[in-house]
Amino acid sequence: MEENKKSKTQAVVEVIEYGPLKISGNFIVKDLKRNKEESPGEIWLCRCGKSNDKPYCDGSHKK
Amino acid sequence: MMEDEKHLSKGKRYRNKDITVYWKPSACVHASYCYRELIEVFDPSRRPWVDMEGSTTDRIIEVVNLCPTDALSWKWNDEEKNNDVRADQYNHVKFRRPELLQSNGEASDKVPVSVKIMIDGPVVLKGDIELNYGTTRKEINDGMISICRCGLSDHQPFCDGRHRKIGFKG
Repeated sequence: MEENKKSKTQAVVEVIEYGPLKISGNFIVKDLKRNKEESPGEIWLCRCGKSNDKPYCDGSHKK
Repeated sequence: MMEDEKHLSKGKRYRNKDITVYWKPSACVHASYCYRELIEVFDPSRRPWVDMEGSTTDRIIEVVNLCPTDALSWKWNDEEKNNDVRADQYNHVKFRRPELLQSNGEASDKVPVSVKIMIDGPVVLKGDIELNYGTTRKEINDGMISICRCGLSDHQPFCDGRHRKIGFKG
């Protein structure tokens, strides 16, 4: 991969309107409640509070 | 009285016999380390919310140092003693990651962003981030943002501390 000298950005965070938070790139996610740590490269986190699979989005926001 | 600008322009102070804790609400991202660690001292539902008699000075310092922003900071009441505090013990520098300080570029360009799912709270992101929301695209370098997970913040997409009032679990 070619190095982008201008941007130092490691991860891109996208707030999807009426939807989840998408995070992609170089990041480590640490879930303090469930005591899990991983670097999945891409995740969708629940922003509505209704997911049954927290912290991940399960589509509950649409209901 | 002389005011230490670094610690306080707008904000509050709380003291016990040894130290003064400074509270700058505008800097808070609701990472919630303070009350999770030491509710006896930092209780957001109480007024005033900081009770300096709730624990020992050592323990209060320890927890104030956990605050990832400069919302909470502290100083010895005895000015002489402040001269002996090492720079890295001051929490206005604590948020600079050591790996960025010791090198001059190269390796530091690849530090992964830290994404912390706070217990019953927001998701706190630290590092070099590109943030997109609505039509806004923002590049954040070595910064920190706190995103609402309970869905009820009045300051979307950011956390405004509402999760605590509604008893969000997740």
